[in-house]
Amino acid sequence: MKSTDSCLRKLEMEPVPENIRLLKGAYWLAKLRWIAIVYVIVGTYVTHEILCVGLNDAALYVIAGLLVVYNITVLVLLNRLMKADQQVPCRAINKLVSAYHVIVWVLLNRFTKIDPRVSCKAVSRIINLQICTDLLLLTVLLHFSGGIENPLVFYFIFHMIIASILLSMRESYLQATFAVCLFGLLVLLEYKQFIPHYCLTGFVPQCLGREKLYVLGTFFVFTTAVYLAVYMANYIAIRLKHTEYAYRQANIMLQEKDRVKDEYVLRVTHDIKGHLATIQACLAVVAGKLSGPLGAQEADLIRRAYARSVKLADFVRALLRLTRMRLSDKSEMDVFSLRDAIRSAVGAVEAKAQEKSITLDCAVESSVDDIFGDRFSIEEMITNLLLNAVKYTPEKGTIKMSASNEEDCVLLEIADTGIGIPEKELDKIFDEFYRATNAKEVERDGTGLGLSIVRLIVERHGGRIHVESKEGFGTRFTLELPKGQRS
Amino acid sequence: MGNGRILIVDDDPDFVAVMKVILEGDHYAVAAAPDKVEGMRRIQADRPDLIIMDVMMSTWSDGFEMSRELKKDPRYEDIPILMLTGVEERTGIGFKSTAGDPEWLPVNGFLDKPVEPQVLLDEVNRLLSQKA
Repeated sequence: MKSTDSCLRKLEMEPVPENIRLLKGAYWLAKLRWIAIVYVIVGTYVTHEILCVGLNDAALYVIAGLLVVYNITVLVLLNRLMKADQQVPCRAINKLVSAYHVIVWVLLNRFTKIDPRVSCKAVSRIINLQICTDLLLLTVLLHFSGGIENPLVFYFIFHMIIASILLSMRESYLQATFAVCLFGLLVLLEYKQFIPHYCLTGFVPQCLGREKLYVLGTFFVFTTAVYLAVYMANYIAIRLKHTEYAYRQANIMLQEKDRVKDEYVLRVTHDIKGHLATIQACLAVVAGKLSGPLGAQEADLIRRAYARSVKLADFVRALLRLTRMRLSDKSEMDVFSLRDAIRSAVGAVEAKAQEKSITLDCAVESSVDDIFGDRFSIEEMITNLLLNAVKYTPEKGTIKMSASNEEDCVLLEIADTGIGIPEKELDKIFDEFYRATNAKEVERDGTGLGLSIVRLIVERHGGRIHVESKEGFGTRFTLELPKGQRS
Repeated sequence: MGNGRILIVDDDPDFVAVMKVILEGDHYAVAAAPDKVEGMRRIQADRPDLIIMDVMMSTWSDGFEMSRELKKDPRYEDIPILMLTGVEERTGIGFKSTAGDPEWLPVNGFLDKPVEPQVLLDEVNRLLSQKA
């Protein structure tokens, strides 16, 4: 049996909020730091032990150790924050920022409470602090691994790119200035011999830390490379942000247009329905010969007109229901007996099933009872599925309805021995106005809205609907309906 | 098969015409009013045995207000009211479940428009026989 799951096909159209985007950036930065740590440890080992380059390896391993502690602490704090509130609270981030200071100064006992609220500014601040700390540690690492002689100096540029992607243009240029200052200070202090210069013996032919021209030249290239990297990364990041903004606006506009369309459809269908109700009533009177006798031909024509008006009224009613549901998020949710709703829905279709000599079995587990939801909608949903089953099951067929209790939800199953749904059409059956090709052969004028209403009701209740079918053998709908909050 | 006087309060003249055919065919005497004001005037002038009323007429809640006023008036509280309306679909609110509530919707019967002639007649007969 081929199957499909309607809820898995929802498109992710909602834009990611800025604070969440930044927080993901903070996680990303922490992940990159793991790579850097491995790189420092392996690089130090290979350079010192295998390539026999003169390195202060003990200092480098200590720095790697510091990086590990620092990164674990950042991740622990971010995880605690995410668990505390999915919305990622603003004051929590402020706490985190202060906690970050505390880590730097090894005073871990201050950040024990997490408060709920967050702002982009606060998350930016934490990213700024992470990058500043990284730059500082990179400078220290550089100092112990040859200073200006070490090509690792250009790793500053990675931080500039990260800063440009995650932070504002002003902040990324400030980070670039900070990097240039740190590097300039290191080079100057080593050049002036205020701090020792660890020469990379074996890697460079001679000590370059005090070669004036080399120092000035490298510093100049470093400075221009850092600022150029920030400029280029910002240029790309801004263009991407503009594109994202345009998509976001387009999405909002489309949603608004969709709403206007729904209101228009609601208005038009309601007006049609009012007139249709009167037309139907008039035809019912004539067709029922309440207004006097009719000739055979007139009676046949009136009967046809009446039948079509009934179909049209059904369609308009379904369209009204669907449009109203799409326009309003509100439902009358309350605790109700699902058992009663099932009984009522089964009762509503029993007569139709009997007309076709269809066996309608209903098995509801004794533990299935109260759930939280909109009783009217749930009953409508079950009735729609049962009516479909009756409509598309040949005479003397079987329909089995069952309800069983799961941990957090109730599992409903409606299985029939009907005509089934063609495999390639299974993905489309919940689409509005879509009707399976073999369904059209059974009934030419269905609305194509029944299953769309069912899907919307399931989604409103936070549930899932799953369909399995084999053409010619039958269809099984499985619904997971959350029990929801209890009163 | 009835005999009795029925007042239809509905602002759709075509719908009223159809109702008249159905009810008069079953030997009821039928009068009509297009809104609450005219409806009240007719009730005072010629007290009916049953009132069939719509909800949305000159105002969105004419029918609701009229049913409450009638049921509060000792002179008319015993007249059965059948609400025949499309208000549920218009508003999306399930009024049917509230029908009969003495405070909110003090009516004796509630049917959705459009209605099958026989369903209408059965309901009218039921309400009138209850009254009797």
